[in-house]
Amino acid sequence: MIEEILIYGMVQGSLLALLALGFSLVYGVGGILNLAHGAFYLITAYLIYWILPYFIFIDNYLLRFGITAAISLVIAVVISAVTYLGLMEPLKESHIGIVLITFALAFFFEQFVKFVGDPKTHFIIPFVPGTVTFLGVTFPAQLVALVVGSLILVTLVTLFINRSTIGKSIRAVSQDFEAAQLVGINTNMILMATVMISALLIGFAAVLYAPGNFIRPNMGWRYLLLAFSVTIFGGMGSIPGSIAGSFIMGYATTITDFLISPTFSVIIPIVVILVMLLVRPQGLLGKKELY
Amino acid sequence: MMGLQVDMQSLIGRFMVWAKTFRGSITLLSLFGLLLVPVTGNVYLSTIIVTAMIYSIFAASWDFLAGFAGQVSFGHAAFFGISAYFTAAFVEFVGVHWIVALFIGGGYAIIFSLLIGIPCLRLKGPYLALGTLAFSLIIWNLFLTGTWLGGTEGISGLPRLGNIFVVFYIVASFMVASLIIMRAIVDSRLGTILKAIRDDETCADASGINTTTYKLIAFMISGFFAGIAGGLFALHLTAVNPAVYQTLYSFYAIIMAAIGGMVTIYGSVIGAFLFTVLSELLRPLAAASLLIFATILILIIRFAEEGVMNPVLERLQDVWDLIRRR
Repeated sequence: MIEEILIYGMVQGSLLALLALGFSLVYGVGGILNLAHGAFYLITAYLIYWILPYFIFIDNYLLRFGITAAISLVIAVVISAVTYLGLMEPLKESHIGIVLITFALAFFFEQFVKFVGDPKTHFIIPFVPGTVTFLGVTFPAQLVALVVGSLILVTLVTLFINRSTIGKSIRAVSQDFEAAQLVGINTNMILMATVMISALLIGFAAVLYAPGNFIRPNMGWRYLLLAFSVTIFGGMGSIPGSIAGSFIMGYATTITDFLISPTFSVIIPIVVILVMLLVRPQGLLGKKELY
Repeated sequence: MMGLQVDMQSLIGRFMVWAKTFRGSITLLSLFGLLLVPVTGNVYLSTIIVTAMIYSIFAASWDFLAGFAGQVSFGHAAFFGISAYFTAAFVEFVGVHWIVALFIGGGYAIIFSLLIGIPCLRLKGPYLALGTLAFSLIIWNLFLTGTWLGGTEGISGLPRLGNIFVVFYIVASFMVASLIIMRAIVDSRLGTILKAIRDDETCADASGINTTTYKLIAFMISGFFAGIAGGLFALHLTAVNPAVYQTLYSFYAIIMAAIGGMVTIYGSVIGAFLFTVLSELLRPLAAASLLIFATILILIIRFAEEGVMNPVLERLQDVWDLIRRR
């Protein structure tokens, strides 16, 4: 039991970290509450599903999947950049406008997937076949790829934010928007880069987690809610907070799954969030002032 | 008695002056046109417009809370659903008259708005939005998994209020009354206080306004009207199920209020009618309908930040002035 909780909690935590990091980053840097965040999971997963048959001539499934995933990620990131420039940037000033436009966007992507494809549930074959037995627990090997991939990506993004020039600009913009503009940072480009990073992260979540799981047009909302809750839990705009929050949430969900009942695990994170909002509204490691 | 008389006269005088202005005459004309719809005898059209009118009350209640008190809620469907459920339950299981049940439903919505409002008072912006969203999700899940009040199937088979034309006039009178009351509240002293809280809470606090009380009052008023909308919705459909709690309804209210124009109350009517008629017009296109709908939605939000109502009215007024000058 304890081994299972440990392993599945780790898996949940890694997934949540990939989902929440981008969401938190975009909110922290630009004050953009991106309700279309989950939609990027959706389109990446469906792009993989649609493009995969075109590379049927490649015999090695891992290679075929890799090429497909790369193409899908590039398309998803380009879409995120285009939507930022076309839709989010002009409405950046009004908080409610950005909420509405991203909501409409998420709705649009859901309907687009339904229209172009079909409303049925689909399955993508996992690119890491077989199962792994670790600590006496047997689970799909795909999950190992998820945990490893998530750890690598989260480390890379953290390093990128802390070390690179763009990362430093991102931090500057998140600390003081106007001062960053004054010292000559192109805030618009930085915001676009942040939105692209967030799309890339959630796209990777789709690449690593969607194979082996069912995909359907309305799944974007679930991942959006997960990202939103983890971000509130860990503290809006705080990267260490999001990472810590996602692992705590992951373990909390898994413990409810195993000890109480899987039907409750849908509602328990929401209750945890509510308690958190009442006790410590700024989140685990959030800034003191709200807004 | 005398004072009341004078008040009445001045009220009528003010109404006459307002009716002669551009906005007044447009409003009265549209209202007159709306009331003529059942005369055509078109059941389909009447049904759509009844839905649109119910949505207008709902969207206006959201606009009241978000536009005037500055408390953006993502969980308005909770009030809508609670009242729909309790109205239906009181009609079905207790057997009270529907109008009593409607106000009992509204009362429950007020209680729930307090339940949601008190813990969420400290929160602002996205935190408040998620807090209210979480509450509505919890209530939705409780009704989905619970066995009370009909469980997953909900309550069905409520008695009809009458034929669709009777329902039309009932809903129309509720809509007009709710909108006038909300507008009156917004224009009163209470409305000014709420706007002060919205614009600068610290300053309002420093000016001696008890922000906690007034924010709760705003939550209660908004919850009550959302509840009235929910009760009418249940009575109109003669059934409720847990789907009334879904988050989509909360966002419908936000979208309708925003399409029409926020911080106006009346804009919600335009938004709700546009929204309902548009989705109904696109229905024959089947699979493509929601995609086109989403595209139109994006375009409206992107290019009409002020909403549709005020810019269009201003254009019309220019034309009107041109005609009158001749």
